[in-house]
Amino acid sequence: MAFVSRIRRQTDYNTYPSSIPIVIDNGASYFRIGWAGETEPRVVFRNIVQRPRHKATGETVTIVGDLDPAMMKYFDCTRSGPRTPFDSNVVYQFEIMEYILDFAFDRLGANGSGIDHPILITECACNPVQSRSKMAELLFETYGVPAVAFGVDAAFSYKYNQLHGICKKDGIVLCPGFTTTHAIPFVDGEPIYKGSCRTNIGGYHVTDYLKQLLSLKYPFHSSRFTWEKAEDLKLEHCYIAPDYASEIRLFQEGTKEAEEKTRYWQLPWIPPPTEVLPSEEELARKAAIREKQGQRLRDMAEAKRLSKINEMDNQLTSLHFLLKQVDQVEEDDIPTFLSDTGYASRQELESTITKVTQSLRKARGEPKNEPAESEENTDSLNNEKYPLMNVPDDILTPEQLKDKRRQMFLKTTAEGRLRARQKRNEEELEKEKRNQLEEERRRENPESYLEEMQAQYKEVLERVEQKKRLKTNGSSNGNNKSGGVGRGERLSAAQRERMRLLTTAAFDRGKGEDTFGTKDEDWQLYKLMSKDNDDDDEQPDSDEAELARLSSRLQDIDPTFVQKVEGESSQTSGEVPRVRLLTEEDYKIVIGIERFRCPEILFHPNLIGIDQVGLDEMAGTSIRRLPHDEKEIEERLTSSILMTGGCSLLPGMKERLECGIRMIRPCGSPIDVVRAMDPVLDAWRGASAFAANLNFLGNAFTKTDYYEKGKTKINLENCHFITGINYNGLSVKQLQELRGILRENTNTKLLVAKNTLVYKALEGTKWESLKPCMKGMNAWLFVQSEDIPAALKTFINFQKEKKLYDNNLGGAVFEEKLYAPQDYKVIETMPSRADVYGMMLGSLHWPALDLVNALQAPTATENETVVA
Amino acid sequence: MEGELMEADIVVPSRLSFKKIQAYEKYPKGQSSSRRWKHLKQILQAENFQDLPPDLPTYVNIESPPSTQPCKRICDITGYEAPYVDPRTNLRYANAHVFKALRSLSSDQVHHYLSIRNAAVVLK
Repeated sequence: MAFVSRIRRQTDYNTYPSSIPIVIDNGASYFRIGWAGETEPRVVFRNIVQRPRHKATGETVTIVGDLDPAMMKYFDCTRSGPRTPFDSNVVYQFEIMEYILDFAFDRLGANGSGIDHPILITECACNPVQSRSKMAELLFETYGVPAVAFGVDAAFSYKYNQLHGICKKDGIVLCPGFTTTHAIPFVDGEPIYKGSCRTNIGGYHVTDYLKQLLSLKYPFHSSRFTWEKAEDLKLEHCYIAPDYASEIRLFQEGTKEAEEKTRYWQLPWIPPPTEVLPSEEELARKAAIREKQGQRLRDMAEAKRLSKINEMDNQLTSLHFLLKQVDQVEEDDIPTFLSDTGYASRQELESTITKVTQSLRKARGEPKNEPAESEENTDSLNNEKYPLMNVPDDILTPEQLKDKRRQMFLKTTAEGRLRARQKRNEEELEKEKRNQLEEERRRENPESYLEEMQAQYKEVLERVEQKKRLKTNGSSNGNNKSGGVGRGERLSAAQRERMRLLTTAAFDRGKGEDTFGTKDEDWQLYKLMSKDNDDDDEQPDSDEAELARLSSRLQDIDPTFVQKVEGESSQTSGEVPRVRLLTEEDYKIVIGIERFRCPEILFHPNLIGIDQVGLDEMAGTSIRRLPHDEKEIEERLTSSILMTGGCSLLPGMKERLECGIRMIRPCGSPIDVVRAMDPVLDAWRGASAFAANLNFLGNAFTKTDYYEKGKTKINLENCHFITGINYNGLSVKQLQELRGILRENTNTKLLVAKNTLVYKALEGTKWESLKPCMKGMNAWLFVQSEDIPAALKTFINFQKEKKLYDNNLGGAVFEEKLYAPQDYKVIETMPSRADVYGMMLGSLHWPALDLVNALQAPTATENETVVA
Repeated sequence: MEGELMEADIVVPSRLSFKKIQAYEKYPKGQSSSRRWKHLKQILQAENFQDLPPDLPTYVNIESPPSTQPCKRICDITGYEAPYVDPRTNLRYANAHVFKALRSLSSDQVHHYLSIRNAAVVLK
């Protein structure tokens, strides 16, 4: 494996003399540090920092690189995840960077007071000056290193492979790294950054894409797809398709080849505990217990019933006794006799006796007195039961009329009941007949019958669902563009109709003549509007009944039949329905198309929404950007294309790149793509070889440089014009005010510094001719915009305003020449910025350009020495 | 600290002899550290690239241009070539089968699929 951490502490740090440089490849994914001249870095680890809380002591500790999962238990990592010092490929978090450097130097074995070795550290191509100067600041001020040099990793890798004859002195290096991909052309063994290009895509994006796709495909297991796991899967399984379209077709058609290319990852799956059938003994024991409990309940009920019967028997005998007594008593004395017992009359007593007898019978479980046959011979009984029915109203007393009405009511209900019973019987008969018929048909030809049944079932199911959809969704065509669930989709059709009526009613008011209510139908509106309307269609309709019948029938005759769960039909068959128990199959992660779909983004960044050229096209862009005249150099470039960087480890990269570059080059041009010997470590090895060179220190930026001109040098950057001011009697307040005005108006910096220091900084640059002005008290104006007159005017205005005539401008330099104050009055009085552009455009640009080159010297020229 | 932890030696010591200024002096506790550092965007803005000659390579101008090749459209769900776009969700899809699956996705999933290719609309 190419990516292996090596974090053992080295012990031989003190055996290296201070002249041997330390070489650091500060990649966005991995950090590698070692000694110049050696072939292997000593310490390698992932470029991340975690600062968890130690559980026992509660203090925050720093852990660099991967945290051993076995140690996880001692730390509380909930507050902070792993952090990286990089934003894209530029270092920006120097606190994190410092922890990483701490760890790296510590592991390298440093134990003295300071790191007394020059340092070569890699950075991205065209690193912003801010990031580079901060890195220099960190190395010089915190670690006290004597010298620092910067270089580009891809360039080092190319030089290293050139040294070993893998690639030629003219060529292109394509470096798909962790967060970005670079293409840098080399001419005569020198990198031409003018021709370089960068696409913001790299291995990180591939891994992230894989992670996202898998967790979307398997939402159940999304917590399993950690970034680290996805990275492992990528390294192990991803490859680059020679042609994406044809490769995907293989999978789409489900060919055997595709099957062979599919990888499976079986997640540990524990089958849900199967219901163990209880043993006979257990069953018997349980049944016995149940039986016992049932018996007890039955006994209790029986006892209760018996006591009730007993009680009622007693009551009955006492009542009969009372009745006998009443019979003996004289007619007139009855009320007085009965007043003690609580009964008003003999009739009441009798009715009580019948009631008690009836309930006693019921309690004893004897059949009712009047069985159902009473209804069969209705006609004959009718006259007895309803004696008043056929008697005309006129001859009846009001009381009898009431009775007649009651009898009529009783008669109609009894008849209704009878009719219902008849109907039920008929239906049952019908059903029986149908069942028999079907059974016969089934016996005749079971298969076709089953098919027919299923077709019927399907049809009815569809109908029912359609109805349901209509009810919830109104029109079931999905042309609602709003997406998701809009207001309209939440209401059922009936509810929506009501809303419509209500709104029209609300808007109709006051329009024209109000004729509402003249017709009876108008009032129907309120019925429609009322809420009760909704429940109408809640009753099961015939289709649903039919569906239930069919499904029960199918269940009887077809063992494989599964009744569709409500709403499931709208779900896809591929998706796992929530109700189903997860099986082993669901724990199998299939990685087929993802194997080449994810790395494809290197060639087509627009697949993840990055609108830049892909890896193959970058070579063409790079050639186009490189200033050149003859065609021949293009051919030389394409005949030595080196791929390096972690992503070039992906299988199939070379073939795909060759194919892609052939498409953008003229027919017949020579194309040769080679892979670096070790795409991951060659950058460090190249840097190590470069640092071992004796000329190395000449290219490095030393501590003296840093302390003597470091700060000023940063000011010099982007500077177009420098002038000195002889300042006498400027108060601190005035100085501050002046600084503010200058910064605001014209991007000019005012610096008060020692003459000697300023001269040190300017020495050897185009500004050197300012030397004669290094006398007396001076403040220096660094005009960093091209609008020089504006800056000077600002100063002169300030001078006039504050009446500071002692503070005249001293000499100034531009275009390498020293100008005395009276000479550049011309510049001051120039009318406007536009005019200045017109007059001085050509001459103003080049000193600035040269300055930047000087600043970037360590980067731009580092490889010259290797060639030399 | 636990013996096992000491043995594993994974914690970076807070005091290192070779440093001139220790980290805890530089970054005292309790101060938010994330605010202090300019992000790449801010760094690039402060670099004043516009004042440099246009032909000088800088971090910004070495960035690759957009591709000239026709944009490849693949199905968001399966990765197949996708001739169709669902107007409701804006997802690309390959065939009717995928379309069915696509319509059953929750709005969260749709949003996730879209954000993978940077096409999700983020309402602020």
